[in-house]
Amino acid sequence: MSPPLMALQWAVNPGSGVPLPPRWGWYVILYFFVGGLAAGCYAIAAALDLAGEPRDRDTVRTGYLLALPGLLICTLLLIIDLGRPERFWHMLIKSKHVPALLLKYWSPISLGSWILAVFGLFAFVAFVGAVVDAGRLRWRAAERAVAGVRRLPSGVRVAWLALGILAGCALGGYTGVLLVGTTRPVWYNAIPLGGLFLASAASTSYALLLLLLLRRGRAAADPALVKLSDADGWALLIELALVVLLLLMLGAVARPIVSGVYGALFWIGVVIVGLVLPLLLHVRHSERSAFAGLRGRAVLVLIGGLVLRFVVVMAPQWPRVPPWHL
Amino acid sequence: MAKGFYTDTTVCIGCKACQVACHQWNGLPAEEPGERELTGDSYDNTGTLSALNWRHVKFIEQIPEDRHQNGFLDGSRWLMMSDVCKHCVHAGCLEVCPTGAIIRTEFDSVFIQTDVCNGCRACLAACPFGVVDIGSDGKAHKCTLCYDRLQHGMEPACAQACPTDSIRFGEVSELMALAEQRAADLGAHGIQAQIYGKDDIVGGLNCFYLLVDKPEVYGLPAKPELPSSNVAAALGGSAATAALLAITGAVSFRKRRMDDMSRDESAPEDEP
Repeated sequence: MSPPLMALQWAVNPGSGVPLPPRWGWYVILYFFVGGLAAGCYAIAAALDLAGEPRDRDTVRTGYLLALPGLLICTLLLIIDLGRPERFWHMLIKSKHVPALLLKYWSPISLGSWILAVFGLFAFVAFVGAVVDAGRLRWRAAERAVAGVRRLPSGVRVAWLALGILAGCALGGYTGVLLVGTTRPVWYNAIPLGGLFLASAASTSYALLLLLLLRRGRAAADPALVKLSDADGWALLIELALVVLLLLMLGAVARPIVSGVYGALFWIGVVIVGLVLPLLLHVRHSERSAFAGLRGRAVLVLIGGLVLRFVVVMAPQWPRVPPWHL
Repeated sequence: MAKGFYTDTTVCIGCKACQVACHQWNGLPAEEPGERELTGDSYDNTGTLSALNWRHVKFIEQIPEDRHQNGFLDGSRWLMMSDVCKHCVHAGCLEVCPTGAIIRTEFDSVFIQTDVCNGCRACLAACPFGVVDIGSDGKAHKCTLCYDRLQHGMEPACAQACPTDSIRFGEVSELMALAEQRAADLGAHGIQAQIYGKDDIVGGLNCFYLLVDKPEVYGLPAKPELPSSNVAAALGGSAATAALLAITGAVSFRKRRMDDMSRDESAPEDEP
């Protein structure tokens, strides 16, 4: 005789037998944010370097000058996040078979380590070029190297910049894929997350470049700024569409990020402050946006980008990992 | 030559000898020595598998809602199960590990080389069973299937200590045949038992279970996933987004140029 329905049950600990949170905290959140900025600033600068006009030269130089310091901050954040920071190089090199290299392209975290390394090369070259261009580095070897690069056929330069843009896109997007490459509910199901983080990397980078150019006394109506502002509008629109797609795909699984305190942060910080308000401001003043309006919009976009990463990283780890976890 | 465990939960008596043997052999210290709080979950005060607990005996008390019983314990049930790393055929932790610290051994078990692990914690979120944990030493830890003992022809400590043979160690195919036979025997006595860990569960578990209730009742996922399942789709989505951003960026950059040219037709292109 089979036992009757056993409704009353002292079950196993609900925390057992479910994918654990990896205890990624603020180091990772800031890495995702700064990594997106470094990648985006480089890609935008390189695109304008390829297809822009002389008056974009300031934008290009600013983007190139931001990419390498941003990347160095990222590397530092990732290394201190490790349980054994002194073994950071194990990510790239087989520690038991030095100097054999290690790449598992199907593992986003392994792929990402290589993307960082490759992007670092592009960011370094761009940084040296920009510093020499600005006349800040009076070191003959560097100047000679830059002059040598200038003499290369333009096809080489175009190919180099195109590859650099690809590396930038890879860095901006893989961070979202890193979360998809887990079995943790919400992350595992969030297939559009790579695209969302990439769009956010683009929108925040446009915003940062706009802010810096405005600070340097450029007028909001300056064509070099207006084109950045237009492109930012598009990036925000794509980002909003991806947020909608993400929520539709997640359905009920989205609960940790759309309800409770994290939910409030998501709706107010990400959707309203980071996307809807800047888009409204953009549509209202699309042609001759006032200086203050443009600056305000850029600040909102940057806040939204940071809150997006905070909510997406921390909400699915709650309550095992508190929101202040480093 | 895949080695593994067959854990027959129907003969587990919850003595935790496996946990003790595991702690002793592997030199695992107690958590918060002397200050362990009681969980209130039946006889379970371990809670979950962790960096220090590579075996975890679970207790599930099933009692009718109205507490009605026909006689002593008739109509109620006390399930026990000794949980452990499943040493999956397709192991999520091994899949994502970026340092190569997690390897598959000659016994087809999944082993973490702690001298390689750098504590990135990707494996924590990759394991669909919540087995791998990070220790206070900053490195990932889990059951090794007593790799050191296997290399010397011994069976794992937990299996040797188990007094009811609920935990059996051996060749996975042979163990599976034993489990099938046991399930058939139980079925003949009117007890529904099923094997958890055949091919349908992430390609098979080298450490599998015989259960008499749904997997969820034992805190096992009914349909565990692999971390890589959605990665290709997510990468594709990123690529599509990159293309969209490139197009809209080009339009914004280009449109401005066109507007300027139409506004000031005679303006010459500045020299490059």
